[in-house]
Amino acid sequence: MLNHIPDSIELVDYIDDGEQARHYRFRLLNLKKDQIKNHPHNWQQVQPGQFFMLNVPSVGEAPFTFTEPPNEQGEFKAFIRQMGQVTSALFNMQRGDILGARGPFGRGWPVDIINNNKTLIVAGGCGLAPLVTLIDKLSEKPDNKQQLVLIYAARNKATQMLTPERAHWQKQIKIFNTLDEYPHTSEDASDELPVTTVQGSPLAILPKALSTFTSPPTTALLCGPEVMMNSVASYLTEYGMTSDAIFLALERRMHCAVGLCGHCYINHQYVCKSGPTFSWQELMQLKAN
Amino acid sequence: MKIYLIDDLQHLQQHLAQSYQFHQVVTNSDGQCHWQQIASAATKPVVHEPLIYEKPQSSAKSFFFAEQESVLIFNGEYFQETLPTPKPFVLFGVQSCDLTAIHYQDKFFKDDPYYQARRQQCLLVGLDCISPCEHGFCPTVNAGPGVKDGYADIILHSLVNKQWLLIAQTIKGSKALQGLALTETHWHYLTQRDLVLHQCENEFPDDKYITDGIKKINSGEISSEFWRKLAIQCLGCSGCTTLCPTCSCYGTRTIKQDNNHFSQQRFWDSCLYEGFQREASFNNPSAEAGTRVQRFWQHKFGNEFFTEFSRHGCVGCGRCEQTCPGVIGIHSVMKRLTEEKEQKNGQEDTNA
Repeated sequence: MLNHIPDSIELVDYIDDGEQARHYRFRLLNLKKDQIKNHPHNWQQVQPGQFFMLNVPSVGEAPFTFTEPPNEQGEFKAFIRQMGQVTSALFNMQRGDILGARGPFGRGWPVDIINNNKTLIVAGGCGLAPLVTLIDKLSEKPDNKQQLVLIYAARNKATQMLTPERAHWQKQIKIFNTLDEYPHTSEDASDELPVTTVQGSPLAILPKALSTFTSPPTTALLCGPEVMMNSVASYLTEYGMTSDAIFLALERRMHCAVGLCGHCYINHQYVCKSGPTFSWQELMQLKAN
Repeated sequence: MKIYLIDDLQHLQQHLAQSYQFHQVVTNSDGQCHWQQIASAATKPVVHEPLIYEKPQSSAKSFFFAEQESVLIFNGEYFQETLPTPKPFVLFGVQSCDLTAIHYQDKFFKDDPYYQARRQQCLLVGLDCISPCEHGFCPTVNAGPGVKDGYADIILHSLVNKQWLLIAQTIKGSKALQGLALTETHWHYLTQRDLVLHQCENEFPDDKYITDGIKKINSGEISSEFWRKLAIQCLGCSGCTTLCPTCSCYGTRTIKQDNNHFSQQRFWDSCLYEGFQREASFNNPSAEAGTRVQRFWQHKFGNEFFTEFSRHGCVGCGRCEQTCPGVIGIHSVMKRLTEEKEQKNGQEDTNA
């Protein structure tokens, strides 16, 4: 039987990171020693790109991705932007307060395909969050045959998020930034991070980013506003990538996260269960009907 | 499977009412039919009403998938499951369309503890329909008029001489009949039953437009303009999704209590509501009413759902036609679909 019941978690800490956004640290409570291994929620098997349902008491539940999966002490991290009722209530909570979490849910990034391949990542705004654990994993491989390029798009400098993570990654991987609203001449667009930054959407920098690969990327991972992902995916297929090598992580309203409530439908599939990661090929087939 | 002949349903009803909370379709004072619990035989002998063939206004889905129910409670520290604990109950006289829907939802909710807690307590007594009902088209979608094998624990079939054929389909059904004086009868009654059901099928009005409409829905030829125009008549009232025996979308909400305690409920939702897919950011993949109306019909007739359910989502009860205040129930939509000329997106259709 499905388990609809959250585990209690403690709000351990948070740091502000970007406009109305915070990086939260939570801790699973009431787990006896070793219980995490045989728990109804499979907290030790979190795959990059999977998500959990955060339950803010007396307010409701919403899906969020892990930026760090639960460790042996049950601590995990999530990047959360204040948007609706659930996140607004969360932002009013204090360290030590008790909430709920259930998960992990869904199909994450295709790690097996990505390993040791040339990978292009295009993320927009908060869309970088579901990619954090994956980029961490790939960029720190000691025998890194990987060639990883990240394009990070944001509306303006204030909405660029996960700054500490990006600062850390740029030592290992190539990063490009795009900003819809480019700073005026008095400001330097890349004063905090010495990263190539251009005005416009990711499409503006895609040719340059692609040219940094010695041969065309074998995989592309996209996460951000759906319009952005669709235009990048179309560009990449025209560039010559096959549609089954391009993966998109979708955002949808969800209540159950187990394929029952119906809210996250795309045709006969549910994003919570079959996604949130889909190949461009799968998505085009789903949307064709 | 065992078959019996009985002269009087009263004995059967009273027998079952001893072990089960007894529910049957009754007609109320204003002529509407609905499911109702009959007073318990444990307290006094009850004279049960005869079975009626009128289709109840609502299907039996709320017996298993409650219109609203508590999912959990939070005591400030822990979250606890609040599973329903119904006593054993019998639904006496469920028609084939609604049984097909229960079979469909059994698959969809197979791992849902709340649905299953109710479902496992239920004894299903099915009733063969022997004449077509208003708006019904169950034969067209392979959902009737006879009860399908395995869809009920016991099947009742009325014979011309006021006798009833009683077919015990499952072990649960056979056990429920234990203690009742019954004599097995000849298998040829099953042939007679088949003939009656076949004759009933032939009495349904011609509905080729439905078969054609289903083909068209799966052809990918329907313009978004068609759905947009159809949706002008959709009031977003959720009448269709509420009465549809296979619709099962739900939302969740919390009910605050004192001291940071709360309960979380789930409740019937509708894909036809504007906010059904709207996210906190106000991004809405189905912001257009036409998209939502298309979704409803695609969910009922799309071939892509066959893999999971081995059938379409529509069971031919016709309740959407009966209830839709905008006159875009099954029959109206299918007729307009088949009348629509082959047109692609953006082009005018002549039927709006």
